[in-house]
Amino acid sequence: MAADQGGRLRLVASAPGPDVGPGSAGGDPIGATGRSTDRRRRPLFAAVPALVWMLLFFVLPLVVFAIYSVLTAGLYEVSTPLTLDPYRDAITDPLNRTLARNSVIVGVATATVCIAVGLPVAYWLRFAAGRWRLAVLFLITASMFASYLVRIYAWRSVLGSEGIINSGLVSLGLIDEPLSFLLYNRGAVVIALVHIFLPFVVLVLYAAMTPMSDGLLEAGRDLGAGSVMLWRRVVMPIMAAPCWNAFVFVFILSAADYVTPQFLGGREGTTLGVRIQAAFISVGNWPLAAATSFLMLGGFVLLHLAGSFVLRRLRLNDLRLAT
Amino acid sequence: MNHPMPRPSLWPTTAGLTRREIMRRAGLTVMGLGAAPSILAACGDDDDDAGSGNTSGGSAETSGTPAGTSGTAATTATTAGTTASTEGGAGGATGAINYLSWEGYDLPVESIEAFKSATGISINASYIANHDEIQAKITAGGDAAGYDLITYYQGYKPLYTELDILTPLDESKLPNLEGMLPFWGSAEQGFWIDDDGTRTGVPFTWGSIGLTYNSEETPELPSWYDLLDPSFKGRVGMVDDPAGNLALACKILSLKTNELPKDQMADVVELLEQFAAQTKGVAPSFGDMTSQLVSGEIVACFHGWAAMNSFAAAEGLTTVKTNLPSEGSHSFCDAYAIPPTTTNPDAAHAWINQSLDPTTNAEAAIYLVGAVTVADAVEQLDEATKALYPYEDLETLLEQAPLAINAPTESDEFVTFPEWLDAWQQIKAGV
Repeated sequence: MAADQGGRLRLVASAPGPDVGPGSAGGDPIGATGRSTDRRRRPLFAAVPALVWMLLFFVLPLVVFAIYSVLTAGLYEVSTPLTLDPYRDAITDPLNRTLARNSVIVGVATATVCIAVGLPVAYWLRFAAGRWRLAVLFLITASMFASYLVRIYAWRSVLGSEGIINSGLVSLGLIDEPLSFLLYNRGAVVIALVHIFLPFVVLVLYAAMTPMSDGLLEAGRDLGAGSVMLWRRVVMPIMAAPCWNAFVFVFILSAADYVTPQFLGGREGTTLGVRIQAAFISVGNWPLAAATSFLMLGGFVLLHLAGSFVLRRLRLNDLRLAT
Repeated sequence: MNHPMPRPSLWPTTAGLTRREIMRRAGLTVMGLGAAPSILAACGDDDDDAGSGNTSGGSAETSGTPAGTSGTAATTATTAGTTASTEGGAGGATGAINYLSWEGYDLPVESIEAFKSATGISINASYIANHDEIQAKITAGGDAAGYDLITYYQGYKPLYTELDILTPLDESKLPNLEGMLPFWGSAEQGFWIDDDGTRTGVPFTWGSIGLTYNSEETPELPSWYDLLDPSFKGRVGMVDDPAGNLALACKILSLKTNELPKDQMADVVELLEQFAAQTKGVAPSFGDMTSQLVSGEIVACFHGWAAMNSFAAAEGLTTVKTNLPSEGSHSFCDAYAIPPTTTNPDAAHAWINQSLDPTTNAEAAIYLVGAVTVADAVEQLDEATKALYPYEDLETLLEQAPLAINAPTESDEFVTFPEWLDAWQQIKAGV
């Protein structure tokens, strides 16, 4: 993509790509390189607190957890010998397979809707909101003030038999009996989770769009691109990696959620997280719970790696807005 | 009356390693010993440590001071019933009690406030959303939290005995035991008193499970099977209480929960599947199921109890009632107990003793919409609470709705509790 005439902003990639590349970018990736150099110059000790925190509260528990997953299960206790039985049990259990499928469906649906809705909102906030930007950003942030459970119950009062939607439709004479399919299924879980995670997605994507100057879009228009092409060849390539990261973020939290499915999911909305919670707390089979958790974690890591691989193949993983 | 509790062979513990031991050793490992090898090596030589729960339990019993000397407890209360608690007194016990159980079982009632003022005893409450959180938290680091007081549902007695969660109580510090109603003061099936006479719990509240329904939407249902009528499709509530649902299903099928042959589990599962199919989903708690009643999502509950009438009324729905169907049901009783993690057993004993004060026991029943375990408390109940249970003929009620015991933790012959929990997960998910 050609740089704008003022040279304020350039799109650079680490290697030639289908839409953008060094040739079109003018071949001067100073902005990107300069930032990398700056990053390297930062004192290492600045990262020490975060490193220690992660080691103590993430890596160490994970190591202990990994050990649990290969120990022999007792009732609320573990013992030797080491065994892979927990993994075998977790994989071969037909209930786990059903619940894993439910988790994937809920996670993919929630993340897809969040990106599909969040991206245009972020774009509007960045380029079209004008004086409304701060007010809308505040409202988006304010929507996160309500507690998780309150929002779940709010959706119940919206979607329930006596809820706003059913009452409204009955009052208007459009239906005689309340629609029972609105609640206690996967759809209700997805609706509530989208409500919970959409503000995060909007804020993340808005932050990713902030460095994108108006000039970049103007340059595209000057070169004859219409709105669709502008989105396809300028906005989407730049936003591909942030969108993927936001997708994975929402997918993991949604697929692993075990609270919302219990309140809104009904029998078909039960997820693997509910099973893991039960294995830990009710059944007292810690190795099985740990093994199931690790299998989920493995699935998430694979998903992230696969997405990153695709982005790399499409040269969309290292786009920078050079200044 | 003492019915020895069946004690099937239980899970082996000699090679077991508690989670807090794992964490302790992991901590040491981080300090330079090398993580995995040490933790794994520890698993094989843990015999001595596995018994430490019992040892600390013993110390909980012996470290207290003799009861009945102070006479300071609850001196500000004014009823005759309260006098009984001053005789036992707090024995000079004071300080904070780390409490782990249901919200409400820490008894926010007037006479308890007076007791706390008189003794200086206070409560640090950790509330649970699920009974299983108690054993999960005690076994997974309760020492650090120093829990002093828990409660247990009688069906969990075998499990808690197996997990060494219950320490012997010092009856000399519980003089109010004398005032209990005969049934609740007995060693009924070993729920609170072991075969050797060791007391592990003090029942303070109980109730009977029934069919709770909205009388505005449906007439009284004389049989549990009435809930299977097609007109109730999607309008029945069911709560995520595996032990309670198993007990109820066994009662309906005239089976014994703790002696359920493995080849008959399919019958129980099939029955519960039928009821579950009438629901839109399994509610995570009784409170949530009450909300579903109030919002009109459901009109009847497969597994409710009389307190839900009041809970619903508090939310504006005054037409909720509970009846006992012809097949019967089961009763539940919660008892205070002191876990081995305690650091203030004296105060915990004083608290338990106070819970048996007639005034406190009556106030607790009114607050919890439950039943009393103390004889003199009956007359102190208000009319509504007193009418919930037939105190003049408890025997008949407890025959129709006996106290249930959970499935054993291990057995070759009978369905075990872990097996049942697995089956319940499948029923919940409709698989």
